[in-house]
Amino acid sequence: MSEPDHPLPNDRQADPRGRDAERLPEPGLVPGSAASAGTAQSVRTVEVGGTALQVQTYPVTFTGDAREYFRIWIVNAALSVVTLGGYTPWARIRTRQYFYGHTWVDGHNFDYVANPWALLRGYLIVAAFMLVYLIATRFPFKNSEYVVAAIAVLFVLVYPWLVRQSMRFLARTTVHRGISFRFLGSLGAAYLSYGLANIVALFSGGLGLPWALFMQRRFQVDGLAYGQARGHFRGDVGHFYLIALTAMGISIAAGVVFAALALGVFGLAGLFSWHPRARSDLSLGAMVGLVAAYLGLLLMSGVVREYMRAAMMRSVLNNVELGGVVRLGASFSPWMLAWISVSNYAAQLVSLGLLTPWAAVRRTKYVLEQVQVRAIVSLDSFSADTAGQESALGEAASELLDINLGF
Amino acid sequence: MTQHQPDPTETLILRGVYFDGQSSRDREAELQIRGEQASLKIMSGEPLPQRQESWPQRVLVIEPPLTRVRRVIRLPGGGRFETQDDAGVSLLESRTHRNWGLGRVRRIEASWGLTLGAVITLGLFVWGFLSFGLPALARSAAAATPRSVLASFDQAAIKTLDNGSFMGPTHLGKARQAQLQAEFATIGKWAGGNYPYRLLLRNGKPATSDGAGFAIGANAFALPNGTVVMTDQLVALSRNDRELMGVLAHETGHVTHRHALASVYQGLGLTLLGTAITGDLVSAGTFAAAVPTALLTNGYSRQAETQADESAAAYMLGQYHTTKPLRDLLARLELDDKNASEGDVKADVRVKDMLQTHPGTRQRLDHLRALEQAARK
Ligand SMILES: [Zn+2]
Repeated sequence: MSEPDHPLPNDRQADPRGRDAERLPEPGLVPGSAASAGTAQSVRTVEVGGTALQVQTYPVTFTGDAREYFRIWIVNAALSVVTLGGYTPWARIRTRQYFYGHTWVDGHNFDYVANPWALLRGYLIVAAFMLVYLIATRFPFKNSEYVVAAIAVLFVLVYPWLVRQSMRFLARTTVHRGISFRFLGSLGAAYLSYGLANIVALFSGGLGLPWALFMQRRFQVDGLAYGQARGHFRGDVGHFYLIALTAMGISIAAGVVFAALALGVFGLAGLFSWHPRARSDLSLGAMVGLVAAYLGLLLMSGVVREYMRAAMMRSVLNNVELGGVVRLGASFSPWMLAWISVSNYAAQLVSLGLLTPWAAVRRTKYVLEQVQVRAIVSLDSFSADTAGQESALGEAASELLDINLGF
Repeated sequence: MTQHQPDPTETLILRGVYFDGQSSRDREAELQIRGEQASLKIMSGEPLPQRQESWPQRVLVIEPPLTRVRRVIRLPGGGRFETQDDAGVSLLESRTHRNWGLGRVRRIEASWGLTLGAVITLGLFVWGFLSFGLPALARSAAAATPRSVLASFDQAAIKTLDNGSFMGPTHLGKARQAQLQAEFATIGKWAGGNYPYRLLLRNGKPATSDGAGFAIGANAFALPNGTVVMTDQLVALSRNDRELMGVLAHETGHVTHRHALASVYQGLGLTLLGTAITGDLVSAGTFAAAVPTALLTNGYSRQAETQADESAAAYMLGQYHTTKPLRDLLARLELDDKNASEGDVKADVRVKDMLQTHPGTRQRLDHLRALEQAARK
């Protein structure tokens, strides 16, 4: 959040305004859309060690449309089903491309450039493992328990590697202004943050969980690179504990309230009544009360979980630095985001999933449009770096096995 | 782009922005395609404002189209040309026959009518596959499964069921047990198929089952390799052994048709299919998919039940010339009343009927009676 303590390379102090003025309006862009929305909206001057610096703030805009995405989504679903899952990689890519392609910073959008055939190969490998696992768990053939155990142990052992692979793949396939991101986190760091940290979180009865989450986010951000600009995570673990404590306090308060409510319903429904007729009323009243209390608890735990996710996401975004010259800022409210997520779930449930595209666009738009990119250099001054191809297996595995990799 | 025949020699000029892949610098540029030649002209930006590069057009990679997303043409050497001129890029695609498949997909995505068509096609396909394709696949897979697998399946299932919470040792006397076993042996011979039939008599309400609804009560069921379990409670509910033999013949019908195995395969197939699809649809979609899965797996069993009832009817008509004993027992089971008779069972149209593993009892009774009448003619 605070610019003045910025570590600045001296040769990067060129006035970004000068270059910006020189940039031509983009040809062919739809008037009034991202082109105009994506240009820098504010310039601030700050003093660092006697030198004046201009910090330019670029808003992020999202131009996705729920109805348009609905059609893409439903066609994806139809084609995936008709091809018995064979279209899934293309569906995945089109979804990503839609969201990336409608995310604009400074007049340019993002692009997702994964190779569908590589994704398909990854999916097939994962599906083969899943098939063996499913068969081994459902059909108790000879020594099947060893097969199940072997697959489970293998998964646990390679999980950090898989996370790293999928981070690498995800970064490499993300392109902005002709340069792709990269992920350079080391294997050791992956096993520390996704192996050891998870074990610590598990055996410390949850006490270590905020630390584990912190380590994982730091691993993700520190490993990130855009061209030659390395990511740097400036967050501290204390903030993660603060968020977790807030969430815990709310859960306890909500638990007490709902327990009291449930007890009250029990009492009212005839716990103190001895009339035989009231017995059936008791069970009915108690049922209604219990269901209400259960739904209430479900809602509350959903809100708390989403609040935690949102608050951590904001904390992470606010602490991302790129190459010492770019910082992100997130100004969305964690409570608002929690509300959006929970109401999204409700809408998806009620619509039997049909509102999923609307929910995705709604959430993405809210988050992205409250993210700013602050830079002390022009965004066109980054240089590329060259590196090899990544395996799609990591990404396919994480998609299928639903590893949560989000920031 | 198909409304008029484009002249392939006509020069196509796309205006957009160029990135060289080495830096994040954006440069206004023009991509010109003349015949087989493509050339890029940089319109702005240092160091060379009027730089020009040329390639054969076929080495350009046009990224597949997506509604209202900026088009991308990848150039040799890591450069990218991005443009909002979707019409122009589409023209280039149709001239050079590129992105044919995904171009079609984009056209469907762009129109509500075509999208609706896709959804209807999807619905028909899913319905067809789930009601014909998957059951047929599961049946052939079940038929092709080797005996050794069936045997290990029976062993494992009995080991689980005999853990005490579902059922316990029978309370029937030795003589009664021997009598039922002897009668079942006749059915086993009649059913054929070379399965190692055996009858396990068990107590369906054991004291060990802490009352938690696990106990199976008055029931009978068959495992894939010919193991048939019948509970004391069912024996107690019967008035004569013909009723019980009707039930056991029904269960051997499940064995010879390999129903249990087929339903396991179906569940497996649904799970796999669900995973493949929900790889794209998110969590709420998974939930929505789980409901029809449950409904359908039970729906398959309805067909299986009818088939098993037909086996039972065949046996009973051969032995006793009537299906009435089985109908009587079914009525008592359904109404949970020792004195109930066939006529007391009402047609069931509640949601519960949809969720039941067995078809509506009324339907089954009618079907069994119809089979008997058909045999009399
Ligand atoms: Zn049956």
